[in-house]
Amino acid sequence: MTDHFFGYPRPDGQVGIRNHVLLLSGTLYANSTCERVAHTVQNTIPIVHPLGRCQIAPDLAQTFRTLVGHGRHPNAGAVIVIDHFKEQGCTADEIAHEIAAAGKPVEVVNIRRDGGAISATAKATRLAVDLNRQINTQKRERSPLSKLVFGVNCGTSDVTSGLASNRCVGWVADRVIEAGGRVIAAETTEMFGGEELIKARAKTPEIADKILAFIAAMEKSILACGVDLRGSQPTGDNIEGGLSTIEEKALGAMKKWGTKPIVGAVGYAEPIGEESGLWVMDSPGHGGESITGIAAAGAQVMSFSTGGGHTINHPLMITMRLTGNRQSWAAMEETMEVDVSDMFQGTPLEVAGRRLLDEILAICNGRMTKAEALREWNGFAINRCGPSV
Amino acid sequence: MLQALVIDPQDNVANLVGAGARGAAVACRVEGQVEPVYVELCGDIPANHKFAFTDIKAGLPVVKYGLVIGRASADIPRGAHVHVHNIESNRCRGDRT
Repeated sequence: MTDHFFGYPRPDGQVGIRNHVLLLSGTLYANSTCERVAHTVQNTIPIVHPLGRCQIAPDLAQTFRTLVGHGRHPNAGAVIVIDHFKEQGCTADEIAHEIAAAGKPVEVVNIRRDGGAISATAKATRLAVDLNRQINTQKRERSPLSKLVFGVNCGTSDVTSGLASNRCVGWVADRVIEAGGRVIAAETTEMFGGEELIKARAKTPEIADKILAFIAAMEKSILACGVDLRGSQPTGDNIEGGLSTIEEKALGAMKKWGTKPIVGAVGYAEPIGEESGLWVMDSPGHGGESITGIAAAGAQVMSFSTGGGHTINHPLMITMRLTGNRQSWAAMEETMEVDVSDMFQGTPLEVAGRRLLDEILAICNGRMTKAEALREWNGFAINRCGPSV
Repeated sequence: MLQALVIDPQDNVANLVGAGARGAAVACRVEGQVEPVYVELCGDIPANHKFAFTDIKAGLPVVKYGLVIGRASADIPRGAHVHVHNIESNRCRGDRT
């Protein structure tokens, strides 16, 4: 088994698998400036979103934590935080201050302070050029697999997901943990019905209780709407693909978790601990919000398994898509990396799982995903826990 | 012959590999068992969907992966398509509170 990859060691001990200049929008009114710079300067990644202001405190704290987590992400070698004027409790200066603790170069551009959107674009463009020249002499170094944080997620699931692709992801998750690495799973909605598995897998009863509390809170918030979850979950494409209930979808989704103990549970976009093993994060089933939470915790690479095919990818956490559905591979190969549908013709799990692991390691070592080559950024979305006010 | 997977020996549903037509015989591979179990489909089954591996009475649990994935909302005979028309979730039924 390969026990290493080649990455960019960061001052805080994390290891990146890319060395990008991140253009991090602090608020929706800086999004266009971020995007202009990203179109102009190579090796930049824009993170844009509709949040950052008029949010109640816990919700704003979640947005802030998510943005800081992305600034600290090891795939960003340097960061420019771009702000519109002055937010309350989520300023670019505050975000940059937290990112700077990770020891990487961080700059702030403020549209009003820097003379308007055109002037701010010019300033951020110059900074992005200079930061690129500053970081791009760094060489990849041999890093143990124990430095890998592997995110697992799935979407547009169908019956093949639980039988093929998610099982392959679980097989890879086990290998990463055996090498001393960490795995992050999420999607609380897709744990409904899997409570007994969680109790059996959690390292301590306290960890199990914490995850069961995530599930209970999610279920309570859905029940509070006074409607049947059916109509929202399973989704239309899930049902078309043969999944009948949220429980069936969940039990198939949890195949991604592999077989190793759950060593910890964290809230949305919270950092995970140092212990090797499976970490479970509270998040909705919504793909973009879920993978964004996992990225904020520092996963360098993610497997996203799908039944119907997908275009999802996270801008910073490199996202590899796979399917076990041959028709979906034929239809959606342009935005997917691995086909494991031959498992239905008898290919053993170890063989298909190895194929996935080889692709993940190649991606860690620099192979572009199709999304990277296409410069697609379809998967950044911050979860909300309160209303806009 | 058509193949189907019974993922756990406790399951009362099987997953068809590909699509199947009414009257077709299906060799069901049951996890942990050497010999397949043969079931005749009593309705058309879309690609990769489930069918009943045993008769399932209305109200009783539907079991897949060895765990409950919902309950039958109608009597389901062996070999019949199992999906949203005849099983329902036990979770998050805000419509019933």
